[in-house]
Amino acid sequence: MPIMTVLLFFAFASCQKRNTTEESFGETAFHINHLIDNEELKTDALIYTNAAGNRYMVTEIQWFITNVRLVAEDGTEHIVSNQDEESVFYIDTDIPESMTINTGQKFPAGEYAGVKFTFGFDKAENQSHRFVNPPQSYMFWPIYLGGGYHYMKLNGKWINQQGKTEPFNFHLGIGQEYYDESKTNGALYNFGRSDSYEHCSGYQPPSVLPPVMGFIHNYFTVELNHPFTIGQDQTSSLELLMHIEQWFKAKRIYDHDEWGGAIMQQQDAMEIGIQNGPMVFELRNGK
Amino acid sequence: MKLTYKFVQGILLGFLLFLVACSDKTEIVDPPPAYTPTPYELEIPYAFPTKLNIPGDNPLTVEGVELGRYLFYDGRLSGRTHPDSLMSCSSCHIQENNFEPGVDHPVFEGGFVHGLSGQQTHHVVLPLVNLVWNSSGYGWNGSFYNNNENPNQRQIEDIVTLSVIAPDEMYGDTSRVKALFQSLDGYPELFYKAFGSDQITFKNMARAIAQFVRTLVSADAKIDRYLRGEEQLTQSELNGFILFTTEEGADCFHCHGGFGNPLFTTHLFYNNGKDTIFDDPLDRFAVTGDPMHKGAYKAPTLRNISLSGPYMHDGRFATLDEVIDFYSHDVKWSDQVDPLMHHVLRGGVQLTPSEKADVKAFITTLHDEKFLNNPAYSRPEKFPDQN
Ligand code: HEC
Ligand code: HEC
Repeated sequence: MPIMTVLLFFAFASCQKRNTTEESFGETAFHINHLIDNEELKTDALIYTNAAGNRYMVTEIQWFITNVRLVAEDGTEHIVSNQDEESVFYIDTDIPESMTINTGQKFPAGEYAGVKFTFGFDKAENQSHRFVNPPQSYMFWPIYLGGGYHYMKLNGKWINQQGKTEPFNFHLGIGQEYYDESKTNGALYNFGRSDSYEHCSGYQPPSVLPPVMGFIHNYFTVELNHPFTIGQDQTSSLELLMHIEQWFKAKRIYDHDEWGGAIMQQQDAMEIGIQNGPMVFELRNGK
Repeated sequence: MKLTYKFVQGILLGFLLFLVACSDKTEIVDPPPAYTPTPYELEIPYAFPTKLNIPGDNPLTVEGVELGRYLFYDGRLSGRTHPDSLMSCSSCHIQENNFEPGVDHPVFEGGFVHGLSGQQTHHVVLPLVNLVWNSSGYGWNGSFYNNNENPNQRQIEDIVTLSVIAPDEMYGDTSRVKALFQSLDGYPELFYKAFGSDQITFKNMARAIAQFVRTLVSADAKIDRYLRGEEQLTQSELNGFILFTTEEGADCFHCHGGFGNPLFTTHLFYNNGKDTIFDDPLDRFAVTGDPMHKGAYKAPTLRNISLSGPYMHDGRFATLDEVIDFYSHDVKWSDQVDPLMHHVLRGGVQLTPSEKADVKAFITTLHDEKFLNNPAYSRPEKFPDQN
């Protein structure tokens, strides 16, 4: 990956030099916004109802997008990178500065067809200890559950069937294949869908946890087709919206009463999030 | 040491002062060169953050840290010399107890401390461990934080000042303290070396102590050696580690760290479900004004935690077993309970006796003998005046 980054950097740098005479450049600024039912999110307010009929509130949302690309009309992709030359952006409702992505990069002026990014990290990018500094480091995903980082923490509470407000942690990241006697005829074998960690190989976990047999990388790509223009020497302002309610309904209904408060060890629950995820986001022209 | 000028560390400041001094005096005696203290290199341990919380006007220097260590341990920091009224940081922050008093302290019964006025502190003591990596706020409620509007409530330097004057701590007076140390042989020279002037200011005293506190690094517990791949955990410790870092297990990691966060804390503030009524005037709500922050406190680091009872801000639990029992069966619901406490409606994470033993075994791997015995952090044999 670093080689790729370096190559891209050089490609970009040389491009800039070669073209300064003929081509013009502009910048982009993304403003991130979290919405529920098309209204700006009000945190800690028990005023929302999801498609499953759960009344709920949201306390905070922390998430990563990576490999962010501007797609030009001719299909050329321009990668958006941070100061460390990495296309990794952390967004946190508790940190206002994180809600703007303005890298100061120059992109060719002209017409664009949309934006693409990876929600979370692909397998190669999702390496433990790549972030040692907070707040990113606080997103670590336990090594036993696959390591790397949470793609997202969406924390809140809902009113459960007993009428009590119960916390939910809608956390997405690497999923696990657990040992399941009924599926495997009692034989311990690796499902072969992913790698296992040396740390834990041969490890017999405590009673409540069946052994982990393999990992599932749950990241997905989001493609937002929305034309925009980058004007010469101008900063074109874009709004990246997360429609929170769509996590729970876009394709499949997610019911907190069914899945409970915690899903890091429930691939079936995370799977719903992953199927709904590509439809959660929207790109608009900024105001 | 005879000095006609005040020398301040740093060429620019030194030069500026020089200019100011020049304009005041007509006759210039060649000033002796200002002493330049040696930068103190703080090593970043494996997987630790590279961002440090060090104020720009008080960089770590070898001389500053050395002086800070003397002051941290010198009971005359209370501004008094009578044996009954000596008090220093180390009266409450004792190295072998993870810089806490310890539950079996001969004077502070059960580990509850009081100041020279006899007044007990509002909360129990916090350990002084890896504080240079905390940028979110010092104190149980984080009332000392970098961009605080109140410039006297931002940094460890400010905590030093408060400790010296507060009735529940040293109950002193900063000018008296400063004057006392000026009169003690050896100290003025150390101030000259650390800060370029042998005229002691209380500000420089606070700076030196804060520098020393920032060097207190714990990064060589068994868990560190395990994370670095140098040592294996026992079966029980490994069980505990897995329980600690899984939601279906003990579910501690979101607040108290793990493989990806070796500080074993986020330094953030949570309501961890101990109560249903919140009437402490010094909780997190007192700092942020957000009613959802009532009953919230900083999640402390669990490094060396077995030594730093009593536990929680009010010291309600005397032992680690009581803490683990609490998280297992006694977590209470309130509007304010943090969403990360998602086992709350079951009263906790419901660990079995053997799982509790495993979690405790894991927490014990955060015990760092090297830190607790590091001679660089220990009480100096003699103070600069040979006392
Ligand atoms: C009388 C006992 C006592 C003395 C003496 C004392 N402290 Fe403390 N210290 C405490 C208590 C109690 C707290 C927790 C205060 C709170 O947050 O409510 C504390 C907290 C701290 C903290 C914050 C730690 C964190 O994790 O946020 C620092 C730093 C600190 N003390 C440094 C010092 C220094 C330096 C000195 C000497 C100048 C000193 N203390 C003297 C009792 C004491
Ligand atoms: C939601 C975040 C959160 C979770 C999850 C959590 N803690 Fe805590 N922990 C805290 C906070 C906040 C405090 C301090 C509370 C106070 O002082 O009132 C604390 C205090 C402690 C203390 C006492 C520290 C001291 O210096 O007094 C121990 C020990 C501890 N936790 C262990 C655990 C263990 C073991 C688990 C898992 C079973 C766990 N915690 C889960 C937030 C959390």
